[in-house]
Amino acid sequence: MRGGDDAEPHARVAWPTAPASGPCRGGAPIDPVLEVDGISKRFGELQAVDSVTFRVAPGETYGLLGPNGAGKSTCISMIAALLTPDAGTIRVLGQEMTTSSTAGRAQIGLVPQEVAVYPDLTARENLRFFGRLYDITGGALNTRVDQILDVIGLTERADDRSSEFSGGMNRRLNIGIGLLHQPQLLILDEPTVGVDPQSRNAILDSVEQLSAEGMAVLYTTHYMEEAERLCDRIGIIDAGKLKAEGTRRELTTSVGERDRVQVGVSGSLEPALDAVRHLDGVTSASTTDDGITLITDDAGPILARVLDAITGAGGSVTTVEVSQPDLEAVFLHLTGKALRD
Amino acid sequence: MSNTGKVWAVGAMNSRRFLRERSNLFFAFVFPLALILIIGLQFGGDAAPRLGVVDPGGDIAGIVSEQLAAAQLDITIVRSDDAGSLVERVESTDLDAAIVFPPDLDDTIARGDEATIGFTTANTTAGQQLATLVDDILARALAVPTVEQLAVERGADPAQAAAAAARLEPTLARIEVATVTTGDRLFPSDIEGYDVAAPSTLVLFVFVNGLAGSYALIQSRQLGISSRMMSTPTSVRSIIFGEALGRLSIGLIQGGYILLATLVVFGVNWGDPLGATIILVMVAAVSAGASMCFGVLFSNPEQASGIGVVVALGFGALGGAMMPIELFSDTLETIARFTPHFWAIDAFAELVRHDASITDIGTQLGVLGLFAVGFLLFAAWRMRIVLTRPGRA
Repeated sequence: MRGGDDAEPHARVAWPTAPASGPCRGGAPIDPVLEVDGISKRFGELQAVDSVTFRVAPGETYGLLGPNGAGKSTCISMIAALLTPDAGTIRVLGQEMTTSSTAGRAQIGLVPQEVAVYPDLTARENLRFFGRLYDITGGALNTRVDQILDVIGLTERADDRSSEFSGGMNRRLNIGIGLLHQPQLLILDEPTVGVDPQSRNAILDSVEQLSAEGMAVLYTTHYMEEAERLCDRIGIIDAGKLKAEGTRRELTTSVGERDRVQVGVSGSLEPALDAVRHLDGVTSASTTDDGITLITDDAGPILARVLDAITGAGGSVTTVEVSQPDLEAVFLHLTGKALRD
Repeated sequence: MSNTGKVWAVGAMNSRRFLRERSNLFFAFVFPLALILIIGLQFGGDAAPRLGVVDPGGDIAGIVSEQLAAAQLDITIVRSDDAGSLVERVESTDLDAAIVFPPDLDDTIARGDEATIGFTTANTTAGQQLATLVDDILARALAVPTVEQLAVERGADPAQAAAAAARLEPTLARIEVATVTTGDRLFPSDIEGYDVAAPSTLVLFVFVNGLAGSYALIQSRQLGISSRMMSTPTSVRSIIFGEALGRLSIGLIQGGYILLATLVVFGVNWGDPLGATIILVMVAAVSAGASMCFGVLFSNPEQASGIGVVVALGFGALGGAMMPIELFSDTLETIARFTPHFWAIDAFAELVRHDASITDIGTQLGVLGLFAVGFLLFAAWRMRIVLTRPGRA
């Protein structure tokens, strides 16, 4: 679960909330792919987005997590230069995004929430059409279309109309269009809504793969599990406001949520309890009927030491169960309501 | 890719989508030609009556053929030895009537026996005219040998009977069938039904399909494709031009097809080729603009398509696409002038019926141009708003 660990197989960037600090990787400043600074949007009486600020670095997957109507899609529309913010600025690779300028759009690949493909055109025709809009022509277009068909697993169905596709296949085609021009920033707006579990998993695998290859990804969802699985950092958005952002660990810690470790122990419990109570990182410890319960900020780093301490105190470990706080709890804490309300 | 290239890409995509739909193909290409065929046959114009004749030789057949050829009706006589094929051609209205003389007609009459002359007529005005004319000519052609035979039966010398009967011939009553058109002719005499039907059908169906196709623009918005196009490095202007080009292309393809097909299949006279082409371009442009207006004014594709067809048919009727403008009252003709159909059909009529050149139809082309520019500008303005406003998709 990438969102739960700070140490990832490939380099991940933990961004400070304050934009002035700037992103760093290995001590060197990194130019962000996306810079969103204080954007706001009002529709009549509704303040859809209110002073939202965040950054996305190369290779980072940033999740905007919030319920329906939170302002995620409005943010996406402004970032994709489909809407003009009432206030604030958006830059992609340093280029300001405006509805009148097309320059920055070449750097982004938008995968909208709806399946935005022509049902009466084939997969190949849809890809070719959008490829031309992304300035890909001639042999390069043919090659790229074939590559994308391969990536999204539709080579065999390339010349079938998309109206004949399943929902999952259309979702994959929808994503493929966004990848045609090898964008620096891929924007996925709730790409798994209405998708069967198998296709959903395939989509999530693809996003992980793209991120691993260095593409910056902005991912909106109201599925907590997706945000936890995919995102290096998560922005919690509700009623147009970015309530908090950070890694999953940072978010859960910031609201006082801790990991709970339950260790089943046979033998005398008191020596074991004494042995673990004073370990660094253990916030509290108590006995239960058949073992010990620990509360800690992060169970991962101390687990081995806990088990060693119990064994050293003459106890025998029978079971270990780690419960980590999830984003649902964070969202509830921040907004006073459940994510799916 | 240049902006021009993107305009072409959007235009080509629209054309491809239109041509891929089978129902579109039927209503754009098959139905109009069928309608032109029906109207052309129904209103065959003032063409010369066509009479099929099986003439095995003989005096009576010779006299009848001679007098038919000399009739005021300007009959086109088609000779054949195959009575069956002539009758079939009458049934298909390729001929207006057919007369079949038996081989032994003269001998049968001379013997005083009953003879049968086959006459088949189509249910057309020319057919009825031919029936009247043939009745008269036959009556007179048979009068002389009948009188001669009667005289011989009553004991007269055959030679004297023949001479007496021949003297009677000029005194027999004569019926002549002539077509007289009162007032001004609606169309020149060389204009056939197809020439009248083809231009109005072309105009009618380019508009019907254009407005019916307005659904595609709404569908693109509903599917989020318009927004997606906007998220690419493509300007709003290129998208709007592309959408307009697609619709213009569809109108040109459909109109060009009707023009060429009727030229080849029905021999329709379209007049000055350059003039006809420019009218077609104007009609397609007005239709494209109107289609885009519907596409940006409505938000429900079925509603736009349904109302579009009704409006296209209604304006077609008002504009003279269903009934020749020449038959309109003055009031109706004044109303018709507010429709683009009127100006397009009038321009075609000038080319087809009055051999006008492009310079003669400048007014009509100018008005069509104004319609096209007006519709396209309005649609572009609305489309820009629709594409860039919140929640458009």
